Amino acid sequence: MDLPTRFDRRHFVGMLAGMGAVATLGGVTIPVAAFATDSAPELTAAEMQSRELVRFPGKVPMILLTDRPPQLETPLQYFFSDLTPNDAFFVRWHLSGIPTSVELRTFRLEVSGLVQKPLSLSLDDVKSKFEPVSVVAFSQCAGNSRSFFRPMVPGGQWTHGAMGNAQWKGVRLKEVLDAAGVRAGATEVYLGGLDAPPLKATPPFEKSLSIDHARDGEVMIAYEMNGDPLPMLNGFPIRLVVPGWYATYWVKSLSSITVADQPLKSFWMQKAYRIPNNPTANEDPSHLSQDTVPINRMAVHSIFLRPGPNEKLLAGRSYQLEGLAMDGGSEIRRVEVSKDGGQNWTDASLDAEIGKYSWRRWRADWTPPARGNYRLMARASNAAGEAQLTSQWNRSGYQRSLIEQYDAVVL
Amino acid sequence: MKMRRVLIILAVATAGFATCALRAQQGNSQTDASPASNPVQKISLPQYPPELRPGPGSEAFRNNCLICHSARYVTMQPRFTKAVWQAEVQKMITAYGASITPADKDAIVNYLVSSHGTKDAGAPQVQGATAPK
Repeated sequence: MDLPTRFDRRHFVGMLAGMGAVATLGGVTIPVAAFATDSAPELTAAEMQSRELVRFPGKVPMILLTDRPPQLETPLQYFFSDLTPNDAFFVRWHLSGIPTSVELRTFRLEVSGLVQKPLSLSLDDVKSKFEPVSVVAFSQCAGNSRSFFRPMVPGGQWTHGAMGNAQWKGVRLKEVLDAAGVRAGATEVYLGGLDAPPLKATPPFEKSLSIDHARDGEVMIAYEMNGDPLPMLNGFPIRLVVPGWYATYWVKSLSSITVADQPLKSFWMQKAYRIPNNPTANEDPSHLSQDTVPINRMAVHSIFLRPGPNEKLLAGRSYQLEGLAMDGGSEIRRVEVSKDGGQNWTDASLDAEIGKYSWRRWRADWTPPARGNYRLMARASNAAGEAQLTSQWNRSGYQRSLIEQYDAVVL
Repeated sequence: MKMRRVLIILAVATAGFATCALRAQQGNSQTDASPASNPVQKISLPQYPPELRPGPGSEAFRNNCLICHSARYVTMQPRFTKAVWQAEVQKMITAYGASITPADKDAIVNYLVSSHGTKDAGAPQVQGATAPK
């Protein structure tokens, strides 16, 4: 995996300094001082790897970001399976009042607002009154890979493990809305869960989707994940699944659906989870974009799984490079790999497609010809013509789509 | 009225610390209580409070910040400049409704800078992030 090292960054800073006071990266002008060695915040490779593994209920030992509320990252080794095990799936809650007890006899999903017939559904109602559907969909925190942005930004310092791929079973949100009867004039659907703010003044976690998106037949209310009920920490008993969209919309322990004709006035839509209003979610650190929009569909990205972190490679031996490529559901079509820092690229082979909302595994053979340092890179593109970026930064560390690199040391 | 609020906050914070210490001693292996068919699902959340560096402002930090979230929210971050930490504390007040006095706010910022800060770069400050913490 491409963990940053002090060596790399100094090398990079030196390179920039040699280019004068201002460096231009992919058309974005970044004052060199932003990367100054003494002042730039950074985590070293050692610090990243010393992150503690902790146990939470129903989970394997996970990488600890925060314990209250829990933010737990999936260790890399679980990404070698195409479906991420439930007990290794990443965890991210926003408010410390997370549900620790769910009583199914009293649990209800309330559907209200601009509807003809408000509904109050038990878990059994959800399972029995609507047609079950299933999809393999990749889920990823909006801030996945945030710790790799430079300059670093405040927020959950995830490496690449705030993501997972699962088979979800549930019912279409559309059917539930149809059963309630959406009234004319509706434009939005608000979604809330069982988690509660620690203070009265703290905004409850609520998200919204447009009525058209909510009724596209793909957005799902899921009650099973990989054939089992959802773990408590992943949203038992039901959660929203929004295929192709960042996980901030996949509201956990979903308990309220409100149909409305106004945009949701919530911190979580109006202030948080917003990106610069351009296709690559890019902005200049010294001129932050004034025009922002709620984050939405997932960008194209790919990561390395092999070589593993700090793996020792030997000259003349053959290796299989391996990684994952993902996007917002337009189908990953191509992954290219470079072993020389991006000068030459060759096609990786792709594993069979699991589904358009799934991630896709890629592999490439490599025999390092001689000892030395090699910069490996991988870049993915999809059927919609979207490709990974050569430069990207935004103040919140969202929507990582940069071409990742792995600095291999061959002995 | 104000005094009473401060006392309540202190009491809550103290209780929180006692609980943290206790849970840390209890060890950390917990499993899901029951199979899915069970009509009641319950979990008990472990806590992993980090060691906090002592220093001026640490009391203000404990009393105001740990009511809502773990100190891991600070210790997982890289070192940031004073401007970044100021923006973060202001966000807790403005966006998350934390009731922090101006004096405590200054003390908290200074503590964050001394324990988890870096000197000002004179460079663009990364602030105003929309990432919820």
